[in-house]
Amino acid sequence: MSTSFGQLLSANHAAALGATLAARANRTGRGFVSGVYPITPSTECMELLCNQEIEKGRVVRVESEHSAMGVCIGGAASGARTFTTSSSNGIAFMAENMVAAALLRLPVVMVAANRTLGPPWNIWADHGDTLMLRDAGWIQLYCADNQEVLDSVLCAYRLAEDRRILLPALVCQEAFVLSHTMARTLVPTQEQVDRFLPPLDLPGRLGGTARIVGGLTAPHATEVHRAQHHEAMGRFFGVYREVQDRFEEVFGRRPADPVVPYRADDADVLVVSMGTIGSTVERAVDAAREKGIRLGGLRVRTFRPFPAELLAAAFRGRGRIAVVDRNVSLGFGGVLWGEARGLADPGAVVQGYMIGIGGGDVRPEHVLAIAEDLSSREAAGPPVLLEAGA
Amino acid sequence: MSEPLLRPGNGNCGGCGMSSAFQFLGRAREERPIQVVIPASCAAVAVGQFPYSAMGAPTILTTFGSAAAVATGMSHAGRLNGEGTRVVCWAGDGGTYDIGMASLSGAAERNEDILYVCYDNEIYGNTGGQRSSATPHGAATSNTLRGKVEQKKDILGIMAAHRIPYAASVSLAHPEDAIRKMRRALDLQGFRFLHVLAPCPTGWKSEPALGIELVRLAVRSGLFPVVEVVDGRRTTINVEPDFSEEALELYLSLQRRFQKSEIGAADLRPDIERHWRDLRARSGRIVPADREG
Amino acid sequence: MGEAESSRGSLPAGIPLPLEVRVHGRGGQGGVTCAKLIATVYAEQGLHVQTFGDYGSERTGAPVRAFARVDTVPIRNHNKVYRPHHLVVLDAALLGDDVLEGAEPGAVVLLNTARGLEPFADKHGHFRFAAVDATAIARRHGIGTSAVVIINTTLAGAYARAMGLSWEAVERAFAVQGLERDLPAAREAWETVQVREADPGDGTPVRSAPFPASVIGIAEHVHDIPTPLRTGAWRTQMPLYRSHAAPCNGGCPAGNDVVGFVQALHKGGVQAAAQVLFRTQPLPSVCGRVCPAPCMSACNRDAYDGAVNIRGLERWIGDHVLATPERPAPAAQRRRIAVVGSGPAGLGAAFALATAGHEVTLVEGENCLGGVLRTGIPAYRLPEEILDRDISRILALGVSARTGTFLDASGVADLAASHEAVIVAAGLPRLTGLDAPGVGLPGVLQGIRFLDDVKRGAAPRLSGAVVVVGGGNTAIDCARTALRLGAASVSIAYRRGRKEMPAIAPEIDEAVAEGVKLLLHRQPVRASGQGRVESLDLAEVELGEPDASGRRRPVVTGRTSTIPCDALLLALGQSADLSIVPSFPNVFTAGDMATGDGTVTHALGSGRRVAARVLARLAGEPEPVEERVPPQALVTAAHVRFSHFSVALPEVERHRAGPGGALGFDEVSLGLDGPSEASRCFSCGACTSCDTCLLYCPEGVIHRIGHGYRVDEAYCKGCGMCVAECPRRAMEMVMEASAR
Repeated sequence: MSTSFGQLLSANHAAALGATLAARANRTGRGFVSGVYPITPSTECMELLCNQEIEKGRVVRVESEHSAMGVCIGGAASGARTFTTSSSNGIAFMAENMVAAALLRLPVVMVAANRTLGPPWNIWADHGDTLMLRDAGWIQLYCADNQEVLDSVLCAYRLAEDRRILLPALVCQEAFVLSHTMARTLVPTQEQVDRFLPPLDLPGRLGGTARIVGGLTAPHATEVHRAQHHEAMGRFFGVYREVQDRFEEVFGRRPADPVVPYRADDADVLVVSMGTIGSTVERAVDAAREKGIRLGGLRVRTFRPFPAELLAAAFRGRGRIAVVDRNVSLGFGGVLWGEARGLADPGAVVQGYMIGIGGGDVRPEHVLAIAEDLSSREAAGPPVLLEAGA
Repeated sequence: MSEPLLRPGNGNCGGCGMSSAFQFLGRAREERPIQVVIPASCAAVAVGQFPYSAMGAPTILTTFGSAAAVATGMSHAGRLNGEGTRVVCWAGDGGTYDIGMASLSGAAERNEDILYVCYDNEIYGNTGGQRSSATPHGAATSNTLRGKVEQKKDILGIMAAHRIPYAASVSLAHPEDAIRKMRRALDLQGFRFLHVLAPCPTGWKSEPALGIELVRLAVRSGLFPVVEVVDGRRTTINVEPDFSEEALELYLSLQRRFQKSEIGAADLRPDIERHWRDLRARSGRIVPADREG
Repeated sequence: MGEAESSRGSLPAGIPLPLEVRVHGRGGQGGVTCAKLIATVYAEQGLHVQTFGDYGSERTGAPVRAFARVDTVPIRNHNKVYRPHHLVVLDAALLGDDVLEGAEPGAVVLLNTARGLEPFADKHGHFRFAAVDATAIARRHGIGTSAVVIINTTLAGAYARAMGLSWEAVERAFAVQGLERDLPAAREAWETVQVREADPGDGTPVRSAPFPASVIGIAEHVHDIPTPLRTGAWRTQMPLYRSHAAPCNGGCPAGNDVVGFVQALHKGGVQAAAQVLFRTQPLPSVCGRVCPAPCMSACNRDAYDGAVNIRGLERWIGDHVLATPERPAPAAQRRRIAVVGSGPAGLGAAFALATAGHEVTLVEGENCLGGVLRTGIPAYRLPEEILDRDISRILALGVSARTGTFLDASGVADLAASHEAVIVAAGLPRLTGLDAPGVGLPGVLQGIRFLDDVKRGAAPRLSGAVVVVGGGNTAIDCARTALRLGAASVSIAYRRGRKEMPAIAPEIDEAVAEGVKLLLHRQPVRASGQGRVESLDLAEVELGEPDASGRRRPVVTGRTSTIPCDALLLALGQSADLSIVPSFPNVFTAGDMATGDGTVTHALGSGRRVAARVLARLAGEPEPVEERVPPQALVTAAHVRFSHFSVALPEVERHRAGPGGALGFDEVSLGLDGPSEASRCFSCGACTSCDTCLLYCPEGVIHRIGHGYRVDEAYCKGCGMCVAECPRRAMEMVMEASAR
């Protein structure tokens, strides 16, 4: 059903097709190994992947998320391109091995369909599952539409496998809001992807040399390794610009920046968010602007590494900043708010809002209400948890 | 002769049964290329501090419960690239019987092309000696001070029930049988499981020099059956015990871990007998096989 | 006076506050508990303490550290100790700059060492040094295992004494930690610790090496970097390859290297084995037939699946060896020695002397050499050509023989005048009679004479019932010979049981198989007959009360029975005739004449030893003493790891025609079919390069070097597995001198 307007795809399927194209692109390298395990709402992604013919590729239907990442670790350590997908408690169960993949500097790519952690069980959208792994050493990219999911998967491989980085990358898309929502998505040809994505050549892959990967490490060596890991994160933004250029060259469209502004330059009130709330903000901004309210949006696409400089630059001169989180760090507030609030100009009012928790449906009117609330404030208060209901 | 699999200068205790098992596997492998997967365990610590290696083979250390899963990924990557490398998991009883059971069972069910070796020292040695589900009834550990109440799992039965191509128990006191099994397991395709009783002088509170003798006594007394199971169906008893009271009592008395519970041969005998009745039935051989020397 | 001063309590003045203690040990020695005990001693005096281990991946034997802090106020810092006032070193081998790092002059160093203070006096004069042999003390008190002795509690006792703390404080601390069981060891350390005061000279604190520089990145780690860990430093004991005496060797009266020749046969074949035998044994074909083989009684394999048939193997060697010993080069100081008597003792002496390059003349009364070997042993046991072959080997060494020359005392004296020395080995010519009525009747014969007559072809014809009295080889020989001469029935009357019969067991078996009846616990008390013996009265013998030696003496009862007896052969033993030996300083006796042991093997050994003694005497040297191996140095059955050997029953000699066949004087035993019995030898105490040590070394640090082994000392952890698994006690563990 491919047309010049692309295919009508869910984000889950867009992610699976991106992974498939990347997998096939490594047929001249050491191939593709994936471990997958079902969990709503990421299941369709792994189902589609399991039904693809992948030359020099194996998708292993394992017995748990923990093992799914284990298979990816083994495959990646042996120099194969790897992929998995999960959600919510699946990610929580996988977490131990996600940390391991990062600390071993293995370029695993994973797609998360962000879902509320339970129990009580709730299958709907919430960023809390992946943000729980904020400090796990992964690159984290948050998407606002299906095309961005597919493109981010391809970019994630370029970034993760770049020798200057060598880190796993997590592409995040919200449960149902994206995962099960069909939208026109341009699916590149294999030839294009082959040009964009060179075969993985992992310098430290486990081959025939007697050597311990992941051996016991003393405090001093760990200090150095953490510093190196941190520095690799720091090199991300430079490498990402190159990846954007190359992507545009090959596919004819440019992936979004790490921080995506929307009519932000002259905004009196700036709404900062991640994922699909960021695109909903765009509709609210347009509506506000029609009423003469100078509202602007900033969508944080790259959460790890954290684009502190880019955000600080975007905050410069802005007096009122609402940071909207689809998550709660219980006992603190929104995770993004916690990280962004110190980057504004002195005297600026930075207020934290949490909305859309547990899949609550965030609409433009919620954003406008937030803008109104912030406009009425003299100073920032404690973060506010709003109920979106629905 | 090829390089030792576990090099001198490793961090294991003197007299460690796992070290002996490594030496055996090192001999068995000859020139076969292997890669080793070690989950959290004494082995993981013994093989050297970064960036050094006391392993004579490429080795990856994994999270505690992940050896079989990581090995799965490695095995597929190797096969996709037409490599004959044998992927060997080297896990303790904790990483096998307990936290690694799910991934082990999964990999066995999928018949992944992996050799999984469980060196069973019947204790969480690396954390200082706590009970595992491999700890035998009556053995005191740091969290079962009066001796463990429960029975040890029948890991070989569990693995054989997966109908994997090969599952065998390995006695370090029977080197010919042990090395033959290791070679067979290295050369077979699909999931292979070896269970090695690995004396732990530190955890068993026994003389380091007596480790092999303890295994010999465990075999003689019938406590540790030395068998192999092909395709989960054909069971062969490789070493015929003498089931002697003397061997069993000696086995218990040479380890201080059995002192607190005051467990004796008579307490263990019924379970040994029951287990052997099952084994005999499964082996289809009621008459004992020839006793190996 | 401030609060801090007042709260010092009874703390000795030399202890600074705040106090920092660092403990250095090895994994398994209990360093962390040691620090805890030390802290407890102070805590029990009302002081604030802090104690912790430097937790890492350390295993048994690896260096570990632990710390204790003491102060009058709560301790708030939680870093390790870098400037210790007290250093407790659980293993002297650890003592290096890294251990002493940060210690200022005047700091106290308590060392566990077996070498006392001396070795450390020069080097670390600016520290106050204390030394105690905690390992020996803890080992004596059975704390830990032999490979890993736990010395923490012992050392804590020494610490308290060295620091001037009270014993009561130690007792309280042990009680708090529930370690009262170890108090006796701590007390011994308390009593034996030595202290040397610091020389407040110009010592400088030891400073650490600079911080390590580069760390390879996780993603850049691509090379094999072998571990640099020298685990040999963890060791307190070390395996050593050391031979121990085999019981067969210890049991051989001839002094043969039994395990040596059996192993040589197993590995190198007959010629190699003969080379070993010929060092002590000139008559392998003879002894391989007639020796009672005490070596076999001593054989450790007897406790497993049957003694090795050593006698059979010796015979195999004697019968199959091709080369005769090379004629030796004359000795530098060539002696001229006469040997009187060519029985086993004389032959043994002549062989030993000739082998050493001396001039030997063998003087024999009979017309043929061999003495009792020729006259007293029936041909079906020892064919003459076999004896001739063994003797010819001796003569081939250049021994000259003078036969047919009976010598009395003056004859021996003449020899003594013409030779530098004379060895008289005339055997046991006097025969023991039977003290019973009727023994004077015709038909009552001395067994040894009977055998001699048979050998000379002057055998009496026998018929009817023959009774032999005695239980030794002569009795058996007489009985079997009587059967061969046509006796209708032959019985042996012996006053003890079958087990007590001194004859070679298989010979008894063969005799019984041929039809000889054993009348055990019987003693002849009367022979009767009309002009010739016709019947014999036998009394039953019971075992009485044990005598001084614990052996129950036979007591002849009044219960008798009468059996028909057409010939009575007495085989009741023999004794020497010393009247032919003049008391000259250069005349010596050897063999049965000197010892009365009564076996070929004893006589051979005696001949060889007397020869050595004579040579020493002539050279004016001290007489050589063949050291007897003390029993504890022998390899016993308990030392042999039976589990390393599969069961294999002994091979026995083939025999000519069994019972029912015609009995003749052809040799009955045909010997072994081959030398494979040698493979059954455990090789007790002698390494066979079996690789068991190598196979079981958990570290893989034992390497083959030619026929032996090398243990890589840099890595051996001293676990002792190789020694425990050695099948034959060819190894042992020794305390590591350098580590102590």
